[in-house]
Amino acid sequence: MVLAGVSESRGALGREALAYADGLYNLARYLTGNDADAEDLVQETYALALRAAGQFSTGTNLKAWLFRILRNAFISGYRRQRRNPTVGGLDTTDPHGQEAAPGGWPRDDMELDQMRNVVAEDIGKALMSLPEEARTVVLMDLEGFTEAEVAQVLDCAVGTVKSRLARARATLRQLLKDYAR
Amino acid sequence: MDCRESTSHLLDYQRGRLGPEREEELRAHLSGCPSCSRSESIERTLTDLLERRLPQHPAPIALKLRLAAQWPSPAVTKSSWWERWGRSWAPAGAVALLLFMAVPLYYQAVSSRRAGGAERMIAEAVNDHLRILQSGHPLEVESGNFHQVKPWFAGKLDFAPAVRFLGDPEFPLKGGSVGYFLDRKAAVFTYGYRLHVISLLVFRAESLPWPAGDTGGSGKARAYEKTARGFNVILWREGELGYALVSDVDPTELRRLAAKLGTA
Repeated sequence: MVLAGVSESRGALGREALAYADGLYNLARYLTGNDADAEDLVQETYALALRAAGQFSTGTNLKAWLFRILRNAFISGYRRQRRNPTVGGLDTTDPHGQEAAPGGWPRDDMELDQMRNVVAEDIGKALMSLPEEARTVVLMDLEGFTEAEVAQVLDCAVGTVKSRLARARATLRQLLKDYAR
Repeated sequence: MDCRESTSHLLDYQRGRLGPEREEELRAHLSGCPSCSRSESIERTLTDLLERRLPQHPAPIALKLRLAAQWPSPAVTKSSWWERWGRSWAPAGAVALLLFMAVPLYYQAVSSRRAGGAERMIAEAVNDHLRILQSGHPLEVESGNFHQVKPWFAGKLDFAPAVRFLGDPEFPLKGGSVGYFLDRKAAVFTYGYRLHVISLLVFRAESLPWPAGDTGGSGKARAYEKTARGFNVILWREGELGYALVSDVDPTELRRLAAKLGTA
């Protein structure tokens, strides 16, 4: 038996939580690489959040909490059983990172102009080619999360988020520069 | 500040996360260092590409309905049996049953709030129009030529804004910009009428609290009219897109423009 007050606050929490469905789905879509798995992942996220709603303390960051649940759900075995286990990777080592980190800066203004003309599809493709963690960091940054919030979601230090984001962006610059050619 | 340090702070600088002191130092370095200043504009270009062109995947409506049913809002949470259903959600049979019951309930709850929802849409349309009027640079693309304005939106929105009326001497098209309508992006077309400004907002119509009686079907769209805070607003939807026309011009004139744009 749930008391009316608790049920009401849970309802309010649910209503607020649903407002983040688009952002969560977008991340899920870029993590899983397809719509069916993204739907499953988001649904699982909300089911887990609903079960853990009692542990959520009002006033803390609901959006970050939901993103954390989604990412953990994705990592904890979700990918293993899915149709497309080869999308990106969970490795923290970045296949492009080593070469991209120091460079990636277009050499002249012409290259910069070319980069400006990269089409949407290629930008999506470039992001998908990054490892899972890099994709998450880039998307969360675009969602407006601070580095401290991303660090909470990824369970790592703020400095680590900073360097991963810088490395991911360097790789993207490199890839977009290549696509623009 | 040296180049190495400057490069590592570029993103924080862009996001406004550096303190005023560091920001000043970085700005001083950038103004004296062409190489770092170029890196800065490249960082901005990358952010711009990601923010404007990275394909976005909004959650499908069917999923949102399922989520709403899974986590009922207070309007549908009336008794404890519902809570119990909510918690025993996991088995697939329960999911189907829950959906079967929750979707009509959800619609019922939504339709009872429709009137209020439509008010919210009207208020948002007026706010958007006011934002456009108050903005120093209301038009991001300034041209009376529809064939320059429409392609300008490509890559800036997650839909193609279909607009039938290209402007005429009476209602000239002034230009366009990207705005927001509630939770989603909107294409804003600005028309003129004598000295008045008329805003046309075009946005994805799905999951908005449309006024009751709206079919959302194709063909001639039935419009919903309302006056709020001295502005006349006409709302309608056609297929997947929603339209809001806002201005202080006379309702008769606004209706004439709406008719040109395809309302019944």
